[in-house]
Order: sequence, then structure tokens, then C-alpha cells
Amino acid sequence: MEVKRSSSTKTAVSAIIPFVLLAVMIGYVFGPGSELISFGVVIPEISIEKVEFVDSEIIATVRNTGPIAVDIVMADIDDMILPAAIEPDKHLERFESAIVRIPFDWNEGQPYAIGLTIDDGTRFEKQVDVAAPSIQPTIEMISYFAVIGTYVGIIPVMIGLLWFPFISKLSRSKYKFFLALTVGLLLFLGISSAEEAIETSAENLSDVFNGVLLVATVAIVSFLALNYVGEKLKKRAGASKLAGPVAIALMIAIGIGLHNFGEGLAIGAAIVLGEAALGAFLIVGFALHNTTEGFAIAAPMARTKLMIGRLAALGMIAGVPAIFGTWVGGFVYSPLTAVIFLAIGTGAIFQVIVLIMRWIQNEEGKLSNSSVLAGIAVGMLIMYITSILV
Amino acid sequence: MLTSGQKMFIVIATVSLGFVGYLVFPTMDITAQEQPEVFVTHSGAVVQTTGDVLDPVYTIQEVEFDPEKYLRDFDYGKVSKLEDGTTLREFTIIAEDDKIMEIAPGIFYNVWTFNGSVPGPTIRATEGDLVRIYFINNGDKEHTIHFHGNHPAEMDGIFEIVGSGGGQFTYEFIAGPVGVHPYHCHVMPVEEHIGHGLYGVFIVDPKEGRQQADEMVMVLNGFDTDFDGENNLYAANTIPFYYQHHPIQINMNELIRVYVVNMVGLDPINNFHLHGTLYKYYPTGTDLVPSFFTDMVTFSQSERGIIEFEYEYTGRYMFHAHLTEFSDKGWTGLFYVKDSSQLNTEVYNFGS
Repeated sequence: MEVKRSSSTKTAVSAIIPFVLLAVMIGYVFGPGSELISFGVVIPEISIEKVEFVDSEIIATVRNTGPIAVDIVMADIDDMILPAAIEPDKHLERFESAIVRIPFDWNEGQPYAIGLTIDDGTRFEKQVDVAAPSIQPTIEMISYFAVIGTYVGIIPVMIGLLWFPFISKLSRSKYKFFLALTVGLLLFLGISSAEEAIETSAENLSDVFNGVLLVATVAIVSFLALNYVGEKLKKRAGASKLAGPVAIALMIAIGIGLHNFGEGLAIGAAIVLGEAALGAFLIVGFALHNTTEGFAIAAPMARTKLMIGRLAALGMIAGVPAIFGTWVGGFVYSPLTAVIFLAIGTGAIFQVIVLIMRWIQNEEGKLSNSSVLAGIAVGMLIMYITSILV
Repeated sequence: MLTSGQKMFIVIATVSLGFVGYLVFPTMDITAQEQPEVFVTHSGAVVQTTGDVLDPVYTIQEVEFDPEKYLRDFDYGKVSKLEDGTTLREFTIIAEDDKIMEIAPGIFYNVWTFNGSVPGPTIRATEGDLVRIYFINNGDKEHTIHFHGNHPAEMDGIFEIVGSGGGQFTYEFIAGPVGVHPYHCHVMPVEEHIGHGLYGVFIVDPKEGRQQADEMVMVLNGFDTDFDGENNLYAANTIPFYYQHHPIQINMNELIRVYVVNMVGLDPINNFHLHGTLYKYYPTGTDLVPSFFTDMVTFSQSERGIIEFEYEYTGRYMFHAHLTEFSDKGWTGLFYVKDSSQLNTEVYNFGS
């Protein structure tokens, strides 16, 4: 025991020594008094991430996205310097954010430029195309969003689940085809989630967040975490014959649920930004799209006995997050949270794809089967066509 | 017991959740808030905040350059008589270009200065006086002084570049013509040297003098603090909104004379609008008879003149650029007209 402890201490020390040396070197090269790296000019940067219009006040959320701390010292609307307040305080460390309240009688439907000036005199601006009253989380709005989330998330998934009897009557090779079809559907959803995440980060996130790498990192971490959870789930389910398919269906439902959360975010944010046309378009589009998700959940369970309760529960797991998504998107939208959720969804979907592929392989022995390949291709095509039709 | 794999998983999950949490909610503040602060909007509403107030209000204590003092500060130089009876006025002007000045509350800008301030000192002489200016350039860049007015070519401050780090030059000329003139650095690029603040006012009084008046100088200027080719701030005498929050006190029925010089760069025009009365306008101040009786004069770059007015009633009167963009960015102020026949015991509520 003694021996073991001392050896584990040694291990710990040997792990720490390189870190200590690295810290010393960094301190020497970059620390105070060092003149090795004194070239160049440090350029401060802030980003106005969100602008809200409330009663006689415009509220801007600002984040320090530059390499050094800054003070926000002046606010303006369309170049009009105005008395304002910043909460919690005007000094922003790196990545810190604050809320600037500018009392102003704004007019609905009019464009505004919100400007903030920092201590070195640099002014940063955010253009808002259309001023619309920001949506407050009242009971009516919460239930309104819940209804929309239900139409987009729950109902279409439930409709999709009705394919269950159809799939369960299929022959073995046709069944394989439909399982592979699910893979195709998910592949498309995964790519579209990733694209959405990268797009959102490019449009609304400051460069300092390394948008693409943020998406990749979060997606891979979520992929690995769900992989781990999935393995546990399977192990716990034990040798029961039913457990395998149900566990896979559950994982699919979770992955789709995360994806639907992202869809909810997009709808909520569009409604908040006053983009009514885009909001309506998204609702119809996602609703049509999401019936295929019900199919994806039903497919792996099709070889088991029909368990309506479980199937419905899985449908809820996949669909209900859309409601949460509309709430988050509508009431507490921030581009950073949106990107992170979309990236988590991406990782989750790819994890589910791996799961189904592994399952097909276990059942069938190989993946390069023609019905499997055809299934994936047809799945992708269906998704692509529905995505351009709506 | 947890396996090492599970431990690792928990550690990674905790670290990544913590990091994401920090990014999403970095403003979560567990310390208790102090007393809420209060500020007044331009339309008079009172707003309370738990954070900091962002409002370009300068207090006398904070200000490095005092627009109150500059307003009525005239430098007549060191006066002596030459043998032929001519008055000699000697001035020393030192240029620097390394000062960082708080030109609006919280905004720090690298100003280039004559005698340490923007604008430089208001130099004043009488027509026919011999003006001698000892110029020292203590800056890191080359500078000159170019006076508007009559003088020999070699006194024009164009080709006689004065080197950095203590370079010297003596400008000497007979003051004239009568009027109000700018002086400024004329080293290329002139836009940059003027934009950073190397300018001031040179007044030449007529020999017979002008009517007794409460005299003041207003240099209309602007600053492009982020170098995007557009001025971020405008003012009369450098500090935006200063006279708005610290009204200029004048007396009812007393003649007021303002020497107005437009030194705004980047924008082609500026203007001066006065409330509650009209003024006589003397373009460039070269004539003793006013050209206009108006409340609105437009100035091109470096255009200047003298305005004269009196108030019939007491109270607060605005003066500002009628270009709302300029007044919104700070070029606006107030005259507070008092009745000098009464004791000045009135408590005045500034800036409200």
C-alpha cells in the first residue's frame, strides 16, 4: 500500500513538472518586464450581440470580444449621443458581457443603428433593420410558443410514428432498406444542424469564438458523451432481447430531440426579430420535415412487439424539446447559446448514425449491402427534396 | 466505486460545462449591488440603474482643459515699446504631440497641442503691433505655425518646417488685418495635424478699439477618435456638451461679443444658431459694420467671424449647430442670462 501511494505521488509529480516549466517559460516570455514580445498594437474589440426594444428604452447586450479589458463610456442611437446606463458595470474583462440601457422613444418598424464607444474613442455599431417590441415571457406568449412547438415538434413526430405498422410488416431486406433510410435522413439532419451552427456563428458571433472550431469541439464532445451514455444504457438494459432496439430508438429520440430544440430556437428567434414571414416558413418547413423523424424512431423498434406507450414516450422525447427551443429562442436568445445547442444536436445526430450503422452490421454482418446503400441515398434525397419544396 | 473511465468522464463533463457556462453567463455577479444610481434623459425622464451611468457630463473637477476658463482667456503677450513707438508683443508657443487627453468623459485621445491645450492660447494684438512668436517644437513630429493674415512669405509657416525634439523658429510680423483669424500647424498632412488639435485663435483689434462688451472665444471643433474619416464628437471649445451642463453666465442688456472660428475638419460646413435673440454678424471681423442681422450663420472650414448680441430677457437660451448631427454629438450649449441689477442669489439648477 505504501509503495503504491508513493508511486502514485511520483506519477502525479511527473505529470505536473512539465506544466510548471511551461508556466515559468510563459511567465518569462510574456510576463511583466519582458520585452521579447513588445511589437504590434493591441486592438480592443466589443460586439453588440443583441438589441431589444422595450417601453421607451433600447437595450443592447455587449460583450468584450477583444484581447484586452475595455471600458464602455458612451452610447448613441443613430449617432445621437444619449445618456444611458450599463449594468452591472462599464468595465468589461475579456469575454465579459454587460447590458446597456438607452432610454429612447423608438418607433416601431424603423431601422436603428446602436453605437457604443470605448475608452480609446473607437465606436462600434450594430444595425437593426426593423425595430419591434421585444417579446416578454407572459403567460400568453409562453403558451403561444408552446402551441407552435407542439405543431412543429410533437405532432409531426407522432404522425411519423404511425409508419410503425407498415415497417413492421416488411420483409427482412426491405426492413434493412428502411433502417438505412433512417441513416440517410439523420445524415442530412446532422449536416444541416452543423451548417446552421456554422452559419449562425459566422453571422452573429465575434471571430474570437472561432465559430467553426467551437462547433466542431462541442459537436465531438457531445458525440463522445452520448456514446458513453448509450453504452451504459445498453449494458444496463442487459441481455433482454427487446432492450437493444428500444435503447437505439431512445438514443435516436434523444438525438432528434436535441435537433428539434435547435429548430425551436430558430423559430423563436425569427418571431422575436419580427420576421413573421420567415417564422411562418420555418414552422411549415420543419413540421413537414419532422414527420420523417417519427419514422426514424419507429424503424428500429419495428421488429419488436408494438408498445404504444413506449413509442409515444419516445415521440415526446423527440418532440417536446422543440417547445423548449421556442422558449429559449424567443425569450433568452443569444447567438452563443444557439450555436452551442445546434452543435450539441449535431454531435447527437452523428452518434445516432453510428449506433444504427453498428446495429445493422450486427444484424446483417456487413454494411455494403445494396439495400443499405440504397436506403441511405434515398433518405438523403427525401430530405433534400422536402427541404427545397417547403 | 467509480471506475477510472467514469471519473475521467465526470472531470471532462464538469470542465466543459463550466467553460460553456462561463461563456454564456459571465455576468453572473454574486456580490451585492451598491446604491442604485440615477440619471436624467434629454427629455427629462429620470432613470434608475444598478450599474454605471454613461453620460458625457464633465464636472469641473475632472476636466483637464477648462472650457470655462478658455472662453474668456486672452493672451496679450509680453508687451514692450520699440524705439519708433511700435508696440512689441512677444509670445512663446510650444508644440507637443504626446498628450493623452480625456476629451469627453471616459474617452482618451492623443491630442497634439500648442501650449498644452486644444485649442492653443488665444493670441491678441492691436492692428500695427509687432508680433513676435518664439516657437519651440517639443513633439516627435515636425510642426509649424501658419497664421492667417498679412505677413511675409517666410513667416507663413509652410516651407520653414520646424524639426521635432526642440526645433525652434521665430515668427515675426505686423498684426493685421483687423479681425479674428485662426492659426494652425501646416505640416502635411494638414488634416491630421489640425484633427489632433494644433490650432488656436489670433485676434487683431482695431486701433480705435471696439465697443465695450463681454467678450468670449468659441472654436468650433470635432474629433475623429476612431479614424474612420467621420468625426465622433463635436463641440464649441473641445469638450462635447460642456456648456450644456455648465451654462455660460451673461448679463441681461449687456453687449456680448463672441469670436467664432470653425476648425472642424472632415465636414465641409458648420453653423451657429442662437436662441431668443438675433446677432449682428461681422464676417472675419474685418469690417466694423455688420453684414447680417440673423440667428444663423454657416461656416466653411476655417471660416470665422464676430457675432454681437444682447438679451432682453433673463433665462436659459440654447446656442448650437443647427446641423442636428453636430449638436447630437456635442456641439450644443446654453447661455444663462441674469439680471445684473439684482443680487445674484438665485440658486441655479445646472444641466437639468
